[in-house]
Amino acid sequence: MNSLVKKQRKFIVFAMLIPTILLIGFVLVPAVDLFRMSFTDWDGWSPTRNFIGIKNYLNMFKNKDLWLSLRNNAVYFFAHLIMIPVELAFAIMLNTKFRGYKFYRFMVFMPFIINGVAISYAFSYFFSPINGAFDEILTVLGLEGWIRNWLSDTKIVNFVLAFVSLWRYSGYHVTLFTAALQSVPQDMQEAARMDGANSWQMFRYIQVPSIALMVDFVLFDNIRGALQAFDVPFVMTQGGPGYASSTFTLFTINTAFKFSNFGLAATMAVALVFIIIIVHVIQNKLIHGLILKEEK
Amino acid sequence: MKKVLTQIIKQIICVGMIMIVLAPIVLTLFAALKTKGQMVTTSPLLLPSLSEITFDNFKKVLGDKYLLIGLKNTGIILVVSLIFNVLFGTITAYIIERFEFRLKKVIVALYFVGMLVPTFVTEIARYRIVNSLGLYNTLGAPIIIYIAADLMQLYIYRQFVSALSPSLDESALIDGCSYFRVFAQIIFPLLAPATATVIIIKSISIINDMYIPYLYMPANRLRTLTTFLMNYANAQQGSWQTLAAGIIVIMLPTILIYIVFQKYILSGIAAGAVKG
Repeated sequence: MNSLVKKQRKFIVFAMLIPTILLIGFVLVPAVDLFRMSFTDWDGWSPTRNFIGIKNYLNMFKNKDLWLSLRNNAVYFFAHLIMIPVELAFAIMLNTKFRGYKFYRFMVFMPFIINGVAISYAFSYFFSPINGAFDEILTVLGLEGWIRNWLSDTKIVNFVLAFVSLWRYSGYHVTLFTAALQSVPQDMQEAARMDGANSWQMFRYIQVPSIALMVDFVLFDNIRGALQAFDVPFVMTQGGPGYASSTFTLFTINTAFKFSNFGLAATMAVALVFIIIIVHVIQNKLIHGLILKEEK
Repeated sequence: MKKVLTQIIKQIICVGMIMIVLAPIVLTLFAALKTKGQMVTTSPLLLPSLSEITFDNFKKVLGDKYLLIGLKNTGIILVVSLIFNVLFGTITAYIIERFEFRLKKVIVALYFVGMLVPTFVTEIARYRIVNSLGLYNTLGAPIIIYIAADLMQLYIYRQFVSALSPSLDESALIDGCSYFRVFAQIIFPLLAPATATVIIIKSISIINDMYIPYLYMPANRLRTLTTFLMNYANAQQGSWQTLAAGIIVIMLPTILIYIVFQKYILSGIAAGAVKG
């Protein structure tokens, strides 16, 4: 038996060595380094970096453009938050069997599969002021008066990009909810129906508790996703005009790789982690305190 | 009567959804089939008459030598990353699910941290490490990052391993098999369905990834399919019909993968999410 234990230990050490080293080297060390870097003035190439205390943190809070970017993130966050009930309703519909439901389940997930850079350019074309399809649709509908410079008007550009984000991720959420609904035991649903439960009661007392875990995940994914909104503005507008469609992550990335201020960028990255955790805790308290309290 | 009405309403909602999903894609395809002149003379919502459709825009993008380079680079990155993802993913999941050992809790916690760290901004610190290893402007940069830091496969594999009966490998061990043989000949083959899911989902995310190749591989000869499109877009500034053909070409690989393997993708996405 002793030799088996030895063999087992040898196997574990041998097999886990490389994956663990990689994980430490490329995930843990950068995470710690990010924190350390946030107290320095490193510029990205100098061999040395100076410790400057919490100066980056003070500068971060004073940065108006960063706050504007964070406000833009909030638009993504609330847009997706408002969509969650719609996505849930859609998932409940797709969970029933009707003509073509398999095809519709397939199509609703399509935007999530599509190359993000390609679709960003496609939407740039869609909203373009010259020969753009969206303006043409409005014209056909007799709504010429609504036409705007969708991607260069500072007042609306961020909403347009948030819409593109909705286009890309709503179907993903619908698919997650549909999968969770399918895991609700059939006999439980039938028993409830036999007892005379109506659609709302079915939803509230059978389906919601069963998919609570998935709702939790989608809410968390929404915080993470909204704060990390990056590729759509990066490709479509570069955050412009000015900072009108900049986001927290885009601003952070530019601070490091465009303006060579890695110290300040690391500070923002650390702040990002804290914001994600704080919003998640608040959201959890709200959800479990208000909506799901009866289950406890 | 009420049933028929619900059916009709469902169909209307779903057709509306499909129109929203397809609009940007189909309208881009329309533009890709037009000449420069037709972009102005025909409505963006319509195709020109069938006899006037042009394939010149597609010929142009398909004839671009960097598209082939991009395809090759994406292929290399994909194959190498996936081999190691599957190898490390299966063996790590097996060990974490089956064995008790010192440091196990630490390692599991490490993987949890790995899932928590925000993706894009981590590159600010990872950049230094990748550079100091001399991987900047090599295919090694994206490969090692995809292998080391992209961890979703672990959750899919752990679910699968925990569903396998331990009596399988125990009896083999009593028969004198080594742990390596048990893993290679019994466990690994049993994980094939999970491996299929992992390979398909990871392929899509690697093909579509823009940021890692953009950041670490600015050299022309290191373009991937996605960064090829970014360069192509800059070169075609203002000529929507030629860019449109590029957009469609770059969209195609992942759409095809999705059409062929939809079953694995839809089940795997949900499995990865709940645990994640």
